[in-house]
Amino acid sequence: MRIEEIRLQNYKCYKELKVTNIPAMAVFVGANGTGKSTLFDVFGFLKHCLTFNITKAVQSRGGFKELVSRGCIGQSIIIEIKFRLSITGVERLVTYLLEIAEKDKSVIVKREILRYKRGAHGSPYHFLDYQAGKGYAITNEEDFSKQEEELTKEYRELEADDILAIKGLGQFQKFKAANAFRNMIENWHLSDFHINKARGTKDAAGYDEHLSVSGDNLQLVANNLFQNYEEIFSKIIEKMKQRVPGISSIKPETTVDGRLLLKFQDGSFQDPFIDKYVSDGTIKMFAYLVMLFDPQPHPLLCVEEPENQLYPHLLMELAEEFRLYSLNGDQVFVSTHSPDFLNAMRLEEVFWLEKKNGFTIVKRANDDPQISAYMKDGDLMGYLWKQGFLGRVHP
Amino acid sequence: MSSIVFFLEEESAKAFLEKFIPRILPENHEYYYIAFEGKQDMEKQLPRKLRNWLKSDTLFVILRDQDRGNCYDIKQNLKEICKKAGKPSSLVRIACRELESWYLGDLAAVGRVYGINNIARQQNKKKFRKPDILQNPDIELKKLTNKRYQKVSGSRLLGSELAISGNKSYSFNIFLIGIERLQL
Repeated sequence: MRIEEIRLQNYKCYKELKVTNIPAMAVFVGANGTGKSTLFDVFGFLKHCLTFNITKAVQSRGGFKELVSRGCIGQSIIIEIKFRLSITGVERLVTYLLEIAEKDKSVIVKREILRYKRGAHGSPYHFLDYQAGKGYAITNEEDFSKQEEELTKEYRELEADDILAIKGLGQFQKFKAANAFRNMIENWHLSDFHINKARGTKDAAGYDEHLSVSGDNLQLVANNLFQNYEEIFSKIIEKMKQRVPGISSIKPETTVDGRLLLKFQDGSFQDPFIDKYVSDGTIKMFAYLVMLFDPQPHPLLCVEEPENQLYPHLLMELAEEFRLYSLNGDQVFVSTHSPDFLNAMRLEEVFWLEKKNGFTIVKRANDDPQISAYMKDGDLMGYLWKQGFLGRVHP
Repeated sequence: MSSIVFFLEEESAKAFLEKFIPRILPENHEYYYIAFEGKQDMEKQLPRKLRNWLKSDTLFVILRDQDRGNCYDIKQNLKEICKKAGKPSSLVRIACRELESWYLGDLAAVGRVYGINNIARQQNKKKFRKPDILQNPDIELKKLTNKRYQKVSGSRLLGSELAISGNKSYSFNIFLIGIERLQL
């Protein structure tokens, strides 16, 4: 499954946003405060809606008046995501649309739709259509070739008008598109790594398969790889040896008081040292490798500024690894300020954010003929970005 | 409407021109200021940037510091690059020895920016009468401003303050004549 298009309306700094032709690996650049994190948080918001309800998701973002674009009070917020998905062997372009509005001081799902075309022609068919808690879903999607009347609609009322229909229906395999979309949103991952949270000893009790947002469970995830995925763990150590001078091995170790710590071995010394004394960059590179070689990769991985603390020369290869992660049928979005990281990117992978009349728009590097002309002649995206070709402050 | 593209050696030249050019050229054109990362980067990247520039009706200005080189050779070399890239009419200008020489050519402006009274009087001192031949203009400028002059922020401030006429720097005046003669 791959997201191909994102459309936002009245969502924070995005009054009207349409990003099209999104590839499996997409990199977003833009000045501070243009809304890179807000763009990624659309998925966080949807996950929040799915786990709890709209009311909670909106409240934790400061309420409807903070979430809706400035000057747009009284209007709805629309999130529309188009994704490619294979349904019973046929590739479909599915659209998920969510419209949120304020009604009598509470927030409701004004409209929720899942639609896709049944054939090469004709208009898209609504396989799920809910309004304020009432609506239907098609239960026999696999019979996509049947005439409309033969598809079975299941009408159902949700418990409340601030609950997503895909929350309940998405649990069932028979609702193919809803199930896949729900799965993607539930398992998307944001990486906003914080070194200080990752360091130190952690309670050894417990078991974590995935690295957390801040990386504070690095020891547990590394231990899981060390215990259960020997091959992956040794691949990570090999890469660490290549990239960090002096590192010869890393081992998770349980202390006598039942805590877990990482021990780094420097080839020149006999005794290993604990992660407390390892450089920020070393910890971070290790954490990224642990994340990237996850035996169960996330369907959508968003990474904020991976360049922080890392040696510039390591960024090109790290960028390639992000791309490889996306090749496993998954998708990776990265925000960056690093020309070195960008230099590893292809023309069609780069997007930039720009403020226009107070609201943010997103542009594709590929749509810019000047950037394309330079790239065809061997230029690099990082250079072009630094030279000011991506987005213009000038008129 | 024409476009005017400035290819520059570094960020400080961009900071200066972004403030200075709007004071001497009309508003109804599109201006682009493209800063490279030093001379070597500029020489390497310039051919491709010129060759593949898509917009028609564009004028190119290339500005570089002389530094330790011979300014005629530098100019010839850059002109050759322009010719090979199919843009022979590009304007090539050299700051002798560097942008700071231009700033030293108008000490009154430096005085206004850094709040130093009476500094303009020093303009008649021998070394500030011909700032282009000073060996280390940036060091002179740092001395005069008690180290407060910083390349990028200083260039930006001076871009707004440098007088259009009466500058003691010969290379600045040659740059100005070239700009004024651009066929907009």
